[in-house]
Amino acid sequence: MIFKVKDTFKELFIVNKETYEGFIHVFKDNNPLHTNQQFAIDKGFDGVVMHGNILNGFLSYFIGEKLPTKDVIIHSQEIQFKNAVYLNDELQFNAEVIGMYESVKAVEFKYNFTNRNAQIVAKGKFQIGVIK
Amino acid sequence: MPKLKQAILKSRNRGMIREEMLKQINEIFIDTLDNEDIVVEESTKAEDVDDWDSLTHILLVVAIEKHFKISFKSNEIQNWNDVGEMMDCIQEKGI
Repeated sequence: MIFKVKDTFKELFIVNKETYEGFIHVFKDNNPLHTNQQFAIDKGFDGVVMHGNILNGFLSYFIGEKLPTKDVIIHSQEIQFKNAVYLNDELQFNAEVIGMYESVKAVEFKYNFTNRNAQIVAKGKFQIGVIK
Repeated sequence: MPKLKQAILKSRNRGMIREEMLKQINEIFIDTLDNEDIVVEESTKAEDVDDWDSLTHILLVVAIEKHFKISFKSNEIQNWNDVGEMMDCIQEKGI
């Protein structure tokens, strides 16, 4: 297969206004934590918190567009959110192949997103299938 | 006792008891299909289990490979007709 265990991948993402507003426009999640500055501050955050699932969008982009083959399909994915992400945060995405399953042409990755302070904001695993 | 017979007996003694293997496989099915009610037998086939579709089959194979620390070949998994044949294949790998 095109992948091997310990292969690593990196990508830089920025949660810009277009992405943030586009997410709200498409999915209608206007929860005040994501849209009301004072509400978010009252809850102990530094400002409105970006939707965690924007990161799933980045993950989808990475899998669909940045892997060395387009012949992929997502079997499963999981994500844990560790720290808040704010507007215009620059996120470093890191992924590593941790398992190869030749019999079913599946590849397992672990990944994380870190912010400019090197804090992990989210991490998890996903499994893809390599399709013909 | 001939060396070959001794080796076979030793191998059988070292191997996991089939009942214990079935129990562990059942746990893998429960976790993978997220269904506490699943009870698989050696004669269980994919059509006997709700949600055991092609994608779930991939997830099950991966979970079994991880659990028993083995690797299957694609032609091996294509030959399974039921859970018992899956177990035969696992045992052939020295488990």
